[in-house]
Amino acid sequence: MQFSILFAILASTYMMAIAKRLPTLIQSFRYQSFFLSLATFLAARHENSVELLCVSILLFLLKVIAIPHLLLRIVRRIKANENIGLFINTQLSLVCALVFTYVSWAFSRQTLPAAGETQSFMFTVALSVILTGGFLMIFRMKALTQIIGLLVMENGAFLLAALVSGGMPFFVEISIFFDVLISMIILGIFVYKINKLFTHIDVHKLTELKG
Amino acid sequence: MKTDGLKTIGKLNSLGHLIILSLSSFSLARMSSPGANISLFGFIHIDALSSFFIFVTAVVNFAASLYSINYIALRIEDGDITTNKGRLYYLLFNLFAASMFLVTLVDNLGMLWVAIEMTTLISAFLVGFYNTKRSVEAAWKYIIICSVGIILALLGTILFSYALHSGTGLKSLNWTDMSRLAPQMDKNILKVAFILILVGYGTKAGLAPMHTWLPDAHSQAIAPISAMLSGVLLKTAIYAILRFGIIVNQNHGAAYMNSLLIMFGLISMAVACGFLLVQKDIKRLLAYSSIEHIGIICVGLGIGSTLGITGALLHIFNHATTKSLMFFGAGNVVSAYHKNNIHAIRGVLKTMPLTGAILLLGVFALTGSPPFSIFFSEIMIIAGAYLSGAHLATGLLLTFIVVAFGAMIHHFAAVLFGNAPADMPEVKEPLNLKLAYLFLLLPICTLGFITLGPLKQAIIAAAKIIQGA
Repeated sequence: MQFSILFAILASTYMMAIAKRLPTLIQSFRYQSFFLSLATFLAARHENSVELLCVSILLFLLKVIAIPHLLLRIVRRIKANENIGLFINTQLSLVCALVFTYVSWAFSRQTLPAAGETQSFMFTVALSVILTGGFLMIFRMKALTQIIGLLVMENGAFLLAALVSGGMPFFVEISIFFDVLISMIILGIFVYKINKLFTHIDVHKLTELKG
Repeated sequence: MKTDGLKTIGKLNSLGHLIILSLSSFSLARMSSPGANISLFGFIHIDALSSFFIFVTAVVNFAASLYSINYIALRIEDGDITTNKGRLYYLLFNLFAASMFLVTLVDNLGMLWVAIEMTTLISAFLVGFYNTKRSVEAAWKYIIICSVGIILALLGTILFSYALHSGTGLKSLNWTDMSRLAPQMDKNILKVAFILILVGYGTKAGLAPMHTWLPDAHSQAIAPISAMLSGVLLKTAIYAILRFGIIVNQNHGAAYMNSLLIMFGLISMAVACGFLLVQKDIKRLLAYSSIEHIGIICVGLGIGSTLGITGALLHIFNHATTKSLMFFGAGNVVSAYHKNNIHAIRGVLKTMPLTGAILLLGVFALTGSPPFSIFFSEIMIIAGAYLSGAHLATGLLLTFIVVAFGAMIHHFAAVLFGNAPADMPEVKEPLNLKLAYLFLLLPICTLGFITLGPLKQAIIAAAKIIQGA
């Protein structure tokens, strides 16, 4: 069961790597967050932990419902071009994502040689999610894709926290959620500002400040 | 536009920060004896290291609040911002100050992460405050680059907690627990985790090659905020790196952290020197100088001997005061000339005699000329590096300091001397600004000769904590 959820997370990550339009990207992000909250929910049932249950519910409310809704709303409101603008085409992006997965696997064998099969698989998935998130931030043109890349990286960090260390202390986890929400809102405000001042949200054209 | 009400708010704000400053000096005196610390509810932990950083933060915040009174009023009179935005400024100013204090207060490393992320989120508004194309671009880059960095730091934090959990079975993120149980943690995991921490928080500290947000943000922010960004925000990130570094040092000796810090420090200095030489924007010039000084601080911390670490801590204080002074002066120049370009600003000494004189003193202080305080902290770091046998690092450090000296003096000589534009009226500085200048100039001029009792004791005690005694 756990394995299949991890595979689902990995699959939705690859979907993001090959997405060409903003709504598709946001939808794949929603799938990924959903599987993440499902994994947390199962872990909560397995360990009978109320705290993990709260975390999984929060994950669901925040990252499956609220944030994708907010992002889609921004897309509609600013009437941006829905193409996300690829610096690297989809095939090559998929190859990169696969390479990330392999590198993460090799790295997890290197640093955690004593860890069991499940644990090193979790570590691999978490790391490749983080790397793909970083990839999305760098090789896509729109400001919104940078936000989504950031959220994907955060998802990976959550996966790592939930699976490797059995979750962080409860209040820390809650404050991190709070932080994620605030940073989302602030980034959203700045997307509006960029759109208003520059009449586009292509971050590769933000080149006034140099040297 | 009426600005009297806002000036009253500003004065009350300064009064508040003066009270915080006196409280922080009290805590500095309390914590300066070796081994002293306060823990509250397992959430707050204050020892000599944190009270030293609190003190530095309080000094710069107070100076910035003094400077803000007239600066913000002037911005409103010039029509750059509205009165309501002026009020918003004071709200954000205090939130920003509070988040930086929180960084130094918390014991829990997860909360430390949250606090550092809060400093980014709040100050992003202060960077993009003018809502121009350039400032919004700077704020966007700032928030995105620092958020990526901070996610790496979160990974590092998670790995630290994993190492503690798998080594001892204890599930905790408290620094006090980790440093106590450090020897039982897994060495390899800590090594990887510390790299993530160093790159993550190093982004926030402005270490090259993760520094790219820094010149943009510092040059676009409002002048008092530039001073706070450069004077304290970068240092809070250094504080976070140190907290994790102490755990790693107690786990397997200081050599690992030290070599990394020296390497990143020297790279930062090299990059900064290159950009200092060719810089055209007066505030970006100061921003690159901050990167150079963060490099010096990292090298000092990386030397690992008592001389190097105390020198680096003293340098943190000296750089905070001197750089704030320079940003205040530069802010005044920019608001009088309405230009940032060094080649377009000439004859500041004639048009603004006091600010010009302050900048002249400040640039010599900043580049490490005697008898100013930075000279003494730099000489401590250099002597420490030489005595510890790091001859190559010492040589490079000296070279970069000399290059930076040349570049800064060259640029500022042109700005300060030269022919003033004919249509510039002579600018008079208001009393609040003179007070801010005086308040910062006092430690810059005296600290080399007399280091006040509690500050000296606190620095020595903090250096002991870093060395793991």
